Amino acid sequence: MKEKALQILLVEDNAGDARLLREMFSKEKPGSFELTHLLRMSEATIHLAKGGVDIVLLDMGLPDGHGLDTVRRAHAAAPGVPIIVLTGLDDEALAAEAMKEGAQDYLIKGQIENRALPRALRHAIERHRMQTETDLIRTDQIRFKDEFLSHVSHELRSPLTAIYQFVTILLDKLAGELNLEQHEYLEIVLRNVKQLQSMINDLLEVTRVQAGKLIIEPQCTSVADAIIYAVNTLQGAATAKGIKLSSNLENRLPLVSADPTRVRQILIILVDNAIKFTPAYGAVKIQVRILDEDPNLLVLEVSDSGCGISSDMTERIFERLYQVTDQGQAGRRGLGLGLYICKELVTRQGGQIWVTSLPQQGSVFSFTLPIFSLAHVISPLLKNDDWPGDSVALVTIEIRATDGWLSKEAREEWSRDTRSLLERCVLPDLDVVLPKMESGGPGELFQVVAFADEIGVGVLTKRIREQFERLNHSKEAGLTLSTSYRLLEPFPTSANSPMNDLANGMAARIEDLIKSESLERTVQS
Amino acid sequence: MNNKKILIVDDDPDVRQGINIRLRANHYDTFFAADALSSVVEARKHEPDLIILDLGLPGGDGFVVMERLKLIPSLAVIPIIVVSARDVRTNQERALKAGAKAFLQKPVDNAELLAVIRQALGETEPLETAR
Repeated sequence: MKEKALQILLVEDNAGDARLLREMFSKEKPGSFELTHLLRMSEATIHLAKGGVDIVLLDMGLPDGHGLDTVRRAHAAAPGVPIIVLTGLDDEALAAEAMKEGAQDYLIKGQIENRALPRALRHAIERHRMQTETDLIRTDQIRFKDEFLSHVSHELRSPLTAIYQFVTILLDKLAGELNLEQHEYLEIVLRNVKQLQSMINDLLEVTRVQAGKLIIEPQCTSVADAIIYAVNTLQGAATAKGIKLSSNLENRLPLVSADPTRVRQILIILVDNAIKFTPAYGAVKIQVRILDEDPNLLVLEVSDSGCGISSDMTERIFERLYQVTDQGQAGRRGLGLGLYICKELVTRQGGQIWVTSLPQQGSVFSFTLPIFSLAHVISPLLKNDDWPGDSVALVTIEIRATDGWLSKEAREEWSRDTRSLLERCVLPDLDVVLPKMESGGPGELFQVVAFADEIGVGVLTKRIREQFERLNHSKEAGLTLSTSYRLLEPFPTSANSPMNDLANGMAARIEDLIKSESLERTVQS
Repeated sequence: MNNKKILIVDDDPDVRQGINIRLRANHYDTFFAADALSSVVEARKHEPDLIILDLGLPGGDGFVVMERLKLIPSLAVIPIIVVSARDVRTNQERALKAGAKAFLQKPVDNAELLAVIRQALGETEPLETAR
């Protein structure tokens, strides 16, 4: 059988190099190769997009391409086509980078042997084919595993629901009186139902982590609230074991930039573990302090008087599926996913997690979260050369339900929708939608720092209201949106002051303003 | 006393009965449906004050039911609470957009379910003990 001619695209602007390569191919068996020669990247991408090319020989010094970017563009135009880059003798480092961007191989100009070239081409194509196949199989396997885990976890929930319902019906004596022994046994069933439920949740969470679907929405958050929530949730479990669960909170803790739901989740896992691994009549304590080494970080600590962890295990316990093998009286093993989830949640919010421990004396799990700072949000803007600097306004946007009903879920959903609406309305790279601040009132509050004068603010708020009315379900949900603004004092743009001082000064002013506004709101409502 | 009427829609008979016992103990009158079609028929017949709706149903899912109810003026105003084993993140938003008052993940905590029901019905009496 006659072999199909290999379609080669040569992208090379240097006439001499191109001629040399052409000559090499001319020595090959006629009909085994077909060479298309183009001079520009712009032509090459069009040609590639048409399809039919088996391999690309790509010069990295094209007039309309810049080094690695050339490889990226070629790869984007035809992701399934292998690329061999052509470089000069002194460019081998660049060639190595190109391989990372998806090139299969590189050839150094002036060092290409006649006979080596066709072999290099065939080799690159074959290697590319095998790699694509392996990638495909791997993606398939991962997807199957994720789908399977997700499906199983959801299916487990229905029977679990029925078990929970009827155990609680019995416990609440809706089916008649219970004697003490029956009551005690049903409590055991209920405890196990809750354990099973949390395992299913962990399983789903890990599936999300691995599929890259873990959603984290950082905002201005109080860790005190999360700690109080964790203590309230687990107080019962602690008391049942005779363990003293306490927290030590200072009055003036700084707020952090984190997702409040995720902070609660982390604390629940850590405190739950601490209770599990602490013998009866021990103590579990939550503490918070600013990290000594870095005043921009808040560190939360969960300490216990449990069995402790040997020093060679302090890293491994954060690995997926790792389980402590000798846990003495601690009882049943879990899935070994909790600390792995914690680590993912902490690191994705810009923090770190670690443990210090003394065997038989207890462990301290510590994790950090970045302290919320308006300056961090605003200062990048001030480094923008286009910043007008003279007129600045703080715009406040509030959504409220006309009938007073706004469930937690609806609140979250509307908060997301409104936030993305605001992001669309403001000037990108110039205005900034502030992260969510505490919302004490009946509605949801958003704030935007807009670099605009009175007229500009008028245009902006009008646009926001119009866009909101166009959201097709805002009327059905019975929601109203109101806007108000305050112009700030002209901002000093003295060339002498360092940028960071300007940013901090401005952030402080805006923070004061927000505080005074939220005070007014509290007074009003 | 005039009890509020709640329609329970779930294809799992055990779950249906479980919710039923809990709601009756809290002085609600209950009705049932196990699939999409009969849930609209039952809603028409009893005109309940609230509907507890599962998403995975034979003959069209909970979203279909919400669509159908919307087309009937007397039923369109009935508050709906979705109670489902499906993923919160992918279904909550959709359910709320379709008009549900709340999305609760199975297994639902009894106290939470009762609180959401009371809120949706505009009741403010203190909760009975529930675990």
